[in-house]
Amino acid sequence: MDTSQEAPKTPRPSLASLEKKAYWLGLLLLASGLHVFEAAMPSLGPWFKLGLANIITLIALASMGPKAAASLAIGRVVIGSFFIGTMFTPTFIISLSATLASTATMLLAWRFVPRISLIGISLLGALAHMCSQFIVVEQLFIQQVALYYLLPPLLVLSCATGWLNGALATYITAQLNIRSR
Amino acid sequence: MLLLIALIAIGISWQWLHQHLSGTPMVYIYHGKALLATYPLNPEKPIHFEAHGDIGLSEITIDKQGVRITHSSCATQRCVLSGHRHRIGGILACVPNRILVSIQGSQKQPLDAISE
Repeated sequence: MDTSQEAPKTPRPSLASLEKKAYWLGLLLLASGLHVFEAAMPSLGPWFKLGLANIITLIALASMGPKAAASLAIGRVVIGSFFIGTMFTPTFIISLSATLASTATMLLAWRFVPRISLIGISLLGALAHMCSQFIVVEQLFIQQVALYYLLPPLLVLSCATGWLNGALATYITAQLNIRSR
Repeated sequence: MLLLIALIAIGISWQWLHQHLSGTPMVYIYHGKALLATYPLNPEKPIHFEAHGDIGLSEITIDKQGVRITHSSCATQRCVLSGHRHRIGGILACVPNRILVSIQGSQKQPLDAISE
């Protein structure tokens, strides 16, 4: 009696598809590492971070497209929060919602603003991140509009970090010979 | 170009906010929507206030240097590390405990109420 069963045949993934997945995973690990590194850095202020991990999101956007960039941004917040120990805390809720808002803004800018550079996308993302962070804190936790007194100076700092991260992402994509469009 | 537009918009909103921040500096302490206490910013004697938040106590001290959160039940202690605030518009917040300390301008002089 022949008891051997034939294994169901699944199509073998192409090398190009595996390479793409590995590249995305590498970027995800890099972004998560930067997220953790930034949390361990001495704080530049209670509401302010450099947003270095966003450089990787910009590189993913330029090299792999909007879907890969969005999943990478969300993935690195979840993985990063797990390692920092802030999973499901107010910090995680603020971080995730601000990341969703900034990623959506960056993808919309990428899709609908003709000839926008990575610096412009990064700048809009940084501003959206800061604004959404304040809206979430005001709506869910503090519930006082006085909180918004802090917003204008922090938006100025966001402009600086958004520009810097965009410039770094542009430099890295140029070095990697990635065409941004 | 985008950077310039963003900076101009921020500058205008900043200016608008500061027009609404005049008067005698007063410290307002909130827990969520509830106003817990109001004190003048530079009291003769230091004031210690214990604000009961969602996760425990936040101790607030108001003295000649300004206002600061001296102790908090939160894990990160970012509110304590924020240090002093001594100008109108200054904000200290403990997000996990839902405590906000805000320095705002009171249009009325606080002593008027006593002299009347």
